[in-house]
Amino acid sequence: MDILWTGVFALLLVGYFALEGSGIGVGMLLPALGRTQPDRDRVVAAMAPFVLANEVWLVAVAGVLFGAFPSIEGEVLSGLYPLVVTLLVSWILRDAGLWFRRRLDGHAWRAGWDWMICLGSYGLALSWGMALVAMAGGLSGPPIGLPGLGGGLVVAAAFAFHGWTFLSWRLPGQVTGASRTGGALLASAGVAALPVAVLLAVLAPWLLEHIAPSATLNVLSVMILPFAPLMLGAQVWVWRTFDPRRAADRIPSFF
Amino acid sequence: MDVLDLARTQFAVTGSLHFLFVVLTLGLAPLVAIMHTRHAMTGRPAHERMTRFWGQIYVINYALGIVTGLVMEFQFGMSWSGLSHYAGDVFGAPLAIETLGAFFLESTFLGLWIFGWHRLPRWLHLACIWLVTLTAYVSAFWIMVANSFLQNPAGAVERGGHLVLTDFGALVTNPMLTMALPHVLGAGLWTGGFVVMGASAYHLFRRTADREFFTGSLRLGVVAAFVGSLVTVGFGYAQFGPVSLFQPDKFNGTPLAGLGLGFMILIGQLLQALIMFVLLPTVYWLPRWRWAHPILMLITPLPFLAAILGWLAREVGRQPWLVHGRLTVADAMSPGLTKGMITLSFVGFVGVLGLLAVVDYLLIARTVRRGPAAVTLGADGPADSTERAHALSL
Ligand code: HEM
Repeated sequence: MDILWTGVFALLLVGYFALEGSGIGVGMLLPALGRTQPDRDRVVAAMAPFVLANEVWLVAVAGVLFGAFPSIEGEVLSGLYPLVVTLLVSWILRDAGLWFRRRLDGHAWRAGWDWMICLGSYGLALSWGMALVAMAGGLSGPPIGLPGLGGGLVVAAAFAFHGWTFLSWRLPGQVTGASRTGGALLASAGVAALPVAVLLAVLAPWLLEHIAPSATLNVLSVMILPFAPLMLGAQVWVWRTFDPRRAADRIPSFF
Repeated sequence: MDVLDLARTQFAVTGSLHFLFVVLTLGLAPLVAIMHTRHAMTGRPAHERMTRFWGQIYVINYALGIVTGLVMEFQFGMSWSGLSHYAGDVFGAPLAIETLGAFFLESTFLGLWIFGWHRLPRWLHLACIWLVTLTAYVSAFWIMVANSFLQNPAGAVERGGHLVLTDFGALVTNPMLTMALPHVLGAGLWTGGFVVMGASAYHLFRRTADREFFTGSLRLGVVAAFVGSLVTVGFGYAQFGPVSLFQPDKFNGTPLAGLGLGFMILIGQLLQALIMFVLLPTVYWLPRWRWAHPILMLITPLPFLAAILGWLAREVGRQPWLVHGRLTVADAMSPGLTKGMITLSFVGFVGVLGLLAVVDYLLIARTVRRGPAAVTLGADGPADSTERAHALSL
């Protein structure tokens, strides 16, 4: 049971980096790849159908952290307080940008929210990198510092690469000028998830040591595992529905 | 204000903001699902327009529900790590089940519903909105399980200085839950019904082109509000039983709790009488009575207000406890929390979310004002010709 729930936690966190890493990367590249408003609209429309299904992995991470590792949850979130604040505010601004950008017609309105998407995406990538470095240092040092910044840049670069690959897969030969296969997208997902996967491998013993008692884990297993096939099925359905080979519709995007 | 007051205020303000959007989500989701069902069954364009118009209002509202919810979820560990230390083995379980077994699915299916127009097969697309509704209700259940545990820590015993889960059945059948959950869901339906009613009254009053559309919507809104009000008031009074058993002095301790309770009941009683004795019996003629429409618009925000007052009563009345009788709010505060940290997050969360909430309501108002013709959710052609060329390639 202990190993199972540590595995679930690791899977969700790695999954978040592998999936949402592309969305964050696309957001970071938005001004660079979308020089004109119609170009930016296409970039956002390309990622839009995946955003809700991707970002929810982090919500699940937080839930499992609370349910299966309650003592770690308090320690990590309060220990990384300023970083968690920047991460959340960045996430909020990025999401607000996506939801709001098309709700008014004015040019300045949409361009302004596009900047919020970009800013929020950078904030997410940098906060993540710094948080990973602080976790690797056992939460002993100050959460924000030079090594952390280095970590932030590494994560930002990995996400940008993943975002670029995603766009080359979803809109082959268009905004990036390149085409990438599903295999290449999988590889770039691996790159985006590598930093957190390494950290998890290092921290696994610490996680196992702090896991909730078996009475709690049993309840989680009984209540959640039956839904696992449905959760995975829904995720697969998203990727099948909005696969570039099927998506040749003439639909304006909601985001 | 000291650190503790700031942390409490931050939680109270973000929580209230979150619930303002959640209460409407809970009410609109089933209404949109019903509209979509009629659309799927009859294929009539009128039903499709209804689904898309009210659906767009639903999703714009949902956006703020998500972002405020994120802050709620992380705030426990940030400011109240004492709670996860003392009671995390019990309190964490319903929250974990909520995120995985409900919200994860809700978000995924909502994405499919929003972006699946004209793309998913008709019945699968319809299934998405029903799954969104179902998982939203399941979500509400688990969140209320967690909250009810704070009101009355059932199913757990203290061992070695912290709570352990001994009886899961008792946790999910907590008497502080069984009456409160239907009360909250009823409040949601009532709120959703009032928003549909008020927005329809606006169009009928302005004599816009969509007379038939809003005649039907107004009637639906009144009926939904009627059903919601019966459930809300019935289970509202039923809550006094468990509350007087587990927290006998709840509403006498602080004036705020008593005030919240009193005004919620006042609003609830007056509106319920109005719905039952006036709006419902006249629902057939109401769309034509132009003089009544401004009144309907004016009372639209009242269920929101009552819902916030209800939470004030429930949560303020629990003070100074975080877990009733076991752990105080002061003891649960994260040890290293400083005034600087909480000020930073207060400005970040309350400031940003407050502004976004205002923007969101303005956008909802604008969507209402522009009417069904301007809806972009599920539109089946590019909005303008510059987009057309690009959309072809998506
Ligand atoms: C005659 C009308 C009403 C009665 C008798 C009533 C009763 C109650 C009681 C006793 C509580 C406190 C429970 C506790 O402290 O544990 C409560 C809470 C609450 N009420 Fe009401 N209420 C009424 C109307 C309303 C209305 C109109 C709304 C909103 C549309 C509403 C929304 C809420 C909410 C959201 C809570 C907090 C959660 C809960 O305890 O259920 N109530 N209500």
